[in-house]
Amino acid sequence: MTTFLQLVVVGISTGSAYALIGIGLVLVYRTTSIINFAQGAFAVIAGLVTARLVGHVPTALAAALAVALVAVIGALMGFVALGRRGRTTPLASLIITLGLALLASAVELYVFGDVPRSYASISRHAWSLGGVLIEPQYTLIVAVTFLAAILLTALLRRTIVGHALVACADSRRASELVGLNVRALGVVSFAMAAALGALAGVLLTPVIPVTFDSDVGIAVNGFAAAAFGGLVSIRGALAGGLVLGIAENLVVGYINPQYELAIALLIMLALIGWRSRNEVVA
Amino acid sequence: MSALLEVDDLTVRYGRAVAVDGVSLALERGERVALIGPNGAGKTSLLNAVCGLLKPAGGRVAIDGREVTGAGPGAVVRLGVSQVPEGRQVFPSLPVEANLLLGAYGRTGPFRYPAARAETRERLQRVYRLLPKLEELRDRPAGRTSGGEQQMVAIGRALMAGPRLLAIDELSLGLAPVVVQDLTAFLRSLNEEHGVALLLVEQNAHLAFDLCDRAYVLEAGRAVLAGPSEELRRQDAVRDAYLGGGLAVETL
Repeated sequence: MTTFLQLVVVGISTGSAYALIGIGLVLVYRTTSIINFAQGAFAVIAGLVTARLVGHVPTALAAALAVALVAVIGALMGFVALGRRGRTTPLASLIITLGLALLASAVELYVFGDVPRSYASISRHAWSLGGVLIEPQYTLIVAVTFLAAILLTALLRRTIVGHALVACADSRRASELVGLNVRALGVVSFAMAAALGALAGVLLTPVIPVTFDSDVGIAVNGFAAAAFGGLVSIRGALAGGLVLGIAENLVVGYINPQYELAIALLIMLALIGWRSRNEVVA
Repeated sequence: MSALLEVDDLTVRYGRAVAVDGVSLALERGERVALIGPNGAGKTSLLNAVCGLLKPAGGRVAIDGREVTGAGPGAVVRLGVSQVPEGRQVFPSLPVEANLLLGAYGRTGPFRYPAARAETRERLQRVYRLLPKLEELRDRPAGRTSGGEQQMVAIGRALMAGPRLLAIDELSLGLAPVVVQDLTAFLRSLNEEHGVALLLVEQNAHLAFDLCDRAYVLEAGRAVLAGPSEELRRQDAVRDAYLGGGLAVETL
C-alpha cells in the first residue's frame, strides 16, 4: 500500500508538469488552430538554460530568467509559425512548428552538448506521511501548476486581453470583423504557452535531468494530457495530466520502467479513437 | 465633401469564379440604403470586401474619402464602419458584456483601451439604454441566448465601436417576424435620433424597402437596378422577383 501511495504521489507531481505542457498546447490550439510541436522544446530550453545559470545566480532567479527568455523565444516562434494572414494554413503552421522543434534541438545540442543537465531541487528534506515520502520539489510542482492554471483561467475570464484570446478561439472571423488583431493575439498565446512549458521545464529538471532530445517525450506526454480535454479544455488538460502521471508511475513501479512513454501514446491513441468515433456517431 | 462610403467598380473573385463584378455604390452620412438580391448574388461578398475581410480583385473602397481597399477589417472599424455579420457570429462562450466590450477593444486596440476606459463605460451604458435586454443578460454566455438576443448582441457589439455606418448582413435571417419588427424599429430610431447611417443587406425586399430610402438590386454580381425604395417597389421586375409577384427570378 505504501508503494502504491508513493507511486501515486510521484505521479501527481510529474503529471502536473505534463498538465502545464498540455495547457500550453490547448491555449495555442484554441486561439490559432495550430498544434504546436515545439511545445516540448520550451521545457527543454528552460531546463538547460536554468542548469547553465545555476551557480552564477540563485536558482529562483535562474529559473525566472529562463522562463522569461523562453517566453520571448515562444513569441518569435509564434510569429514565424503564424506566417502571413490568409496565406499560411494551420496545417502549414503545424509543419513549421515541427521544423522549429528540430531546429531548437540542434541549437540545444550545439550550445549545451549532449550530457543530461540538472540542478538541485529546492530541498533534500522529504516529509514522511505514514511511510510515504513527499519531497518538497514534488509539492512545488503541484502548487505552481495549480496556481498557473488558476491565474490563466482568471486572465481569460476577467481581463479584456483574455476575452480577446477567447474570442479568437470562439470565432476567428468575428474577431477579425470587430477589428481584433488576430495574429498578434496568436503571438501572445504562443508566448504564454512557452512560459507555461518553461515552468514545467524548470520544475521537472531537478527530478528528471534534461537533454536536447527530451522534448519528444515531454511533448507526447503534453499531447496525451491535452487530448483528455479534446485539446480545447484547460481543466481537461489538468485532469489529463494527473491521470497520465499516475498511470505512468504505476506502470513504471509495478511493471517495467521502459513502458513509460508507451502508456502516454496508448492513452492518447485510445482517446483519439474514442473521440473520433463519438464525433462520427454524433 | 466626399460621401461617407464610396465603392467604385469593385470586383471580388474566388479563384476563377466572379462573385462581385464591377459594382459601384455610394452612401451619404445618415442615409439608409439597402442592398437586395437573391441568394448568391454577391451581396455578402460585396459587404465583406467593403469591411476589409476580403481582398477585392479590383476597384476601390473609400470611407470619408480615405481609401481602405485591402487595408483589413481593423482599419475599416477605426474609420467608423462596423458590420453586423450574417448569422450574428457572437462569441458564444463569452458573457454578453464581454462581447460588447470587445467591440470597443477592436476599435481602440490594446494600447489605447485603458485610456479610453471612461468613454467605453459611457458607451456601454448607452448601448444598455438602447437595448435594455442586453443589460439583463450581461453575465450570460452569448451562446446561451436566443437568436433575436444574439442579433442584439451583434448590433450592440458593433455600436460599441461608435460607428457612423452600421452594415447589417441579413438582419431577418432565422428570426421570428415579431423580433424582426422590433429590430427594424430600433434601427430606424438609431438612424433618426443618433444619425448612424445604415447599409442593410437583405433577401427580404419588403423589409429592406420599408426601412431604407434607397436600394441597389444585385444580380449575379452586378448592380442591375438602383433607386429610391418607393420607385423600385413599383417596378414590375422587382415586384415579380422579390415581392411575391409569382414570377421566377430569371425574368429580371
